[in-house]
Amino acid sequence: MPSEWNYIMAAYGITWVVLIGYGIHVVRRLRAARRDNEEMRRTLEVES
Amino acid sequence: MNSTETPVDAAIAELRLGAPSRWLWGTTIVGILAFIGTQIYGFTTPSSEEMGNLVKIMFVHVPTAEISFLGVLLMFIASVLYLVRRQERHDLLGAAGAEVGAVLTALTLVQGSIWGRPTWGVWWTWDARLTSEAVMLVILVGYLALRAFTEDSGRRARWSAAVAILGALNAVIVYWSVQWWRTLHQPHSSPMTVARPYRYALRLNDVSMLLIFIALVAWRYRAAKLERAAELLREEAALKQGGSYAL
Repeated sequence: MPSEWNYIMAAYGITWVVLIGYGIHVVRRLRAARRDNEEMRRTLEVES
Repeated sequence: MNSTETPVDAAIAELRLGAPSRWLWGTTIVGILAFIGTQIYGFTTPSSEEMGNLVKIMFVHVPTAEISFLGVLLMFIASVLYLVRRQERHDLLGAAGAEVGAVLTALTLVQGSIWGRPTWGVWWTWDARLTSEAVMLVILVGYLALRAFTEDSGRRARWSAAVAILGALNAVIVYWSVQWWRTLHQPHSSPMTVARPYRYALRLNDVSMLLIFIALVAWRYRAAKLERAAELLREEAALKQGGSYAL
């Protein structure tokens, strides 16, 4: 049976990993969307 | 819409895409710092007579569970607003709330399982609270999957708003499950139901988790608006090239 500290560390650890991981995902998605937007605007400018 | 503005320009303007505001940056930075501080505070609280050091898990589990409800509530309110006003930004806000809500609901289930093993002796049991919370996660994931697989933006918004409104009703069941049924899960924990040494730690962890939630939703909402604007511009480019709207 693991000690109670293992469970405490697991609960805190998983919280940090998930929140940091999701934060990174949101930042990446934000950057990709910004890049996509600028690219589409440039495409439209060239076409017009 | 003025004479030189295209329908796409008008739709993008309606999304209200500006630069990230100071309050958003401020909430993010204050949220991260507050979260670090309150987590340390929670971690260093004294052990309890009943639960020993395991009581420290309460400072991550309870705020995560409480704030995950806000994601569902936001999804519900934004979906109602979308159906009433038909403004796309409400649909995107609902999706942002649902996604962050899904992450926090999944996290709540994992934290609860970690807490359940040493206190109840099992990782999982088909208890009313745990089961209804798992159903909530399935609803949120289903809502996000529906959005991902529906290409037409109008249909996507209408269908997902209907799912969101019906699905959010389950939050009521999750909340009251510990009162309505006999459960292994203890009744609601809140700053008012815990012993004094834990009250401030729980309250402060609630506040810091709320700030993290606001920051995550606001950035995710911004990403969704940028993605939608790019989608609209792509449609416009396709039209100019003589293509069709169905991309």
